[in-house]
Amino acid sequence: MLHIAIGNLVSPMILFFVLGVLSGCIKSDLAIPDAISKGLSLYLMLAIGFKGGAELAASGAAGTVALSLSAALVLSFGLPVLAYALLRWLTSLDSVNAAAISAHYGSVSIVTFVAASGFLGDRGVPYEGYVVAMLAVMETPAIVSGLLLARMSRPDGAGAPRTPLLSREATREVLLSGSVVLIVGSLLIGWLTGKDGLAIMAPVIVDPFKAVLAVFLLDMGLQIGRRLGEFKAVGWPVVAFGLYMPVIGAAIGLLFANAIGLSAGGMTLVAVLAASASYIVVPAAMRHSLPKANPAIYVTLSLAVTFPFNLIVGIPLYYKVARMLAEMSGG
Amino acid sequence: MQLYRKKRIELVVETARAKAIIEMIDATGAKGYTVLQDVSGKGQRGIRDEAHLTGLFRNTMIIVIASEEVARQIVERSQVLLENYAGIVALSDVEVVRDEHF
Repeated sequence: MLHIAIGNLVSPMILFFVLGVLSGCIKSDLAIPDAISKGLSLYLMLAIGFKGGAELAASGAAGTVALSLSAALVLSFGLPVLAYALLRWLTSLDSVNAAAISAHYGSVSIVTFVAASGFLGDRGVPYEGYVVAMLAVMETPAIVSGLLLARMSRPDGAGAPRTPLLSREATREVLLSGSVVLIVGSLLIGWLTGKDGLAIMAPVIVDPFKAVLAVFLLDMGLQIGRRLGEFKAVGWPVVAFGLYMPVIGAAIGLLFANAIGLSAGGMTLVAVLAASASYIVVPAAMRHSLPKANPAIYVTLSLAVTFPFNLIVGIPLYYKVARMLAEMSGG
Repeated sequence: MQLYRKKRIELVVETARAKAIIEMIDATGAKGYTVLQDVSGKGQRGIRDEAHLTGLFRNTMIIVIASEEVARQIVERSQVLLENYAGIVALSDVEVVRDEHF
């Protein structure tokens, strides 16, 4: 595992990420302005959506698309149940915190996905464009699962008055979250305009993509470096969960993707989707809907433990296994 | 110059809760409020500042100037909304020039 990680380390993207973590750790005043950081993340979502759509227009494959999207739904709804069981069994977290964390692990990290697509791009490995649609599908169902788990585990659950699981305001915020709208919108535009559209957009969304990702990862690193001090509050059994849960998720993702018959690139990305944990959309939803859960635990876990693990060790590892699976099934 | 006595309510709340607080202020019949986004500081929950990726560890400051009756209502109702959330609520006496605006 170590040599895979080291091979992946020598890329500007990872090195800028490490620079960010180190500067955050030593409390340097280096900071990316808020508005620029938001702009970069919008750029990354637009680029990944558009490229996925353009690829979809080029390849087609209707039956597999429906199957893949259903698999995405099952993963997003199902992974939190597994995560919750593991947390309750192997850590001393209460049910509300376990439920809040479990929702993060059914949902996805867009940046991890983007980094994985950059990793595949570097190696010239193609992937199915509709995997990007799976990304959009997987973002929110996990929130519903997490809230249901929290409700079912509450001792007064049966007799309590039935309040809606998510308030109307929270539902709108989650379903129409900027990231979902931008990714799905860009995917549709890419799909509608196809090769000609890509020719127009390519100078901006294809060539500078990895460099922009490197700058964004620098910013991620900075924010993670500042949170490292929170590890003690999180507790080591929970930190360990942040390391084994992505591997379990990835294994399940790989099985699904292999059964559907995706390419090695597509399988890698589905593994990344199942392995990654949300740190933008889900934390916001949990803060609204499960205010008793401690945000310092769930944000630190998905942002400062699982994200770096997937970025440095996970992506190359999942790719290696995906390639083996593809070879076994006669690719 | 003639000045009028009013109450000033200052709420420093978790940004996740700011919207609910502002809706509550509107509902009490207060005639206006001022919002300061992204304020930082230190309190019971440690240092709160920009962690702009999640936005969860940010605070928003809301200032309302109102009659004593409305002000007391805002303070009372804010406590229900802030259960389980970071929040500072303070009430003080102020004098304003334009009585009809508050």
